[in-house]
Amino acid sequence: MTAEEGELLSDYVEMRFGPRWTYISCVRKFVASFFMIGLADKERAEQISMAASELLENAVKYASEAEGYLKISIEKQNNEVDVCVKNKAERQQINTLRREFALIHAGQPELVYLKKMEEAAMTEGQSRLGLIRILFEAGAKLRLDVQDGEVSIHAIFPLDQETAS
Amino acid sequence: MNGMDGMSETLTPLTLEGLTVVPAVHETKLRLTMSGAVEMRDPGEMLNPFWTRMDLEARNRGLQAVELDLRDLNFMNSSGILTLVRWITKLKINPGYRLVFRYDRNVTWQRSSIPTLAKLAPNVVVPLEING
Repeated sequence: MTAEEGELLSDYVEMRFGPRWTYISCVRKFVASFFMIGLADKERAEQISMAASELLENAVKYASEAEGYLKISIEKQNNEVDVCVKNKAERQQINTLRREFALIHAGQPELVYLKKMEEAAMTEGQSRLGLIRILFEAGAKLRLDVQDGEVSIHAIFPLDQETAS
Repeated sequence: MNGMDGMSETLTPLTLEGLTVVPAVHETKLRLTMSGAVEMRDPGEMLNPFWTRMDLEARNRGLQAVELDLRDLNFMNSSGILTLVRWITKLKINPGYRLVFRYDRNVTWQRSSIPTLAKLAPNVVVPLEING
């Protein structure tokens, strides 16, 4: 967490680690505890930690290089928490992600979630439910940035004025 | 099968990577008590065959309900959710019993995931919300 001089506009937690599955549970628990104290809002803290966990799982499954990066910022000016997971990815994975983003934003989130569940049940392999789960269950906005083969996925949570102060 | 105690019978539990599922038959109901967390990379590898076995137990015994008690399950990742989706989907196609999800409304993932799961097959899935 930063401690800049003067007024803090953004507190953040930042982690870089080799994408090992066993770290994800530790990160989820840490994030939940951290935000439980920082926000005094158990539900929001658990939603943020769920989002961090789901995004990290995707990064470990689909990253092309062995480094995971997580940054969670409390943006005080905008009253929001930004959970960002960044990793390198192959072009094919990036295209899949772009399609996924278009799909999950193409309809009412609950209906999209139910449809994706039904489709996933009929196919073998990965669930691909993580992003829509964050969108619908945690009520976060999702943003995808791609630059030079590096993918950043942001899950952005609004905070009420009181919580953010 | 481990033993029989009058009205209830305990079946072989499932234990893996921080998760325990204990099945027990009580009269006309099979109760599966889950504790720990589902956050392994591929939970379906173990959970899918386990749910299939429980489905068969319920059908073979002619039970009216299978109750999945999730209250002590502190987290389930989306791959774990998918295992339940697969179970619900099979049950929707071939109904045989009610699948009851007993969950704690104070646990965020349970309150957000379970009612949505129930909407997949409202005729066979019953979300049972408990406060604490």
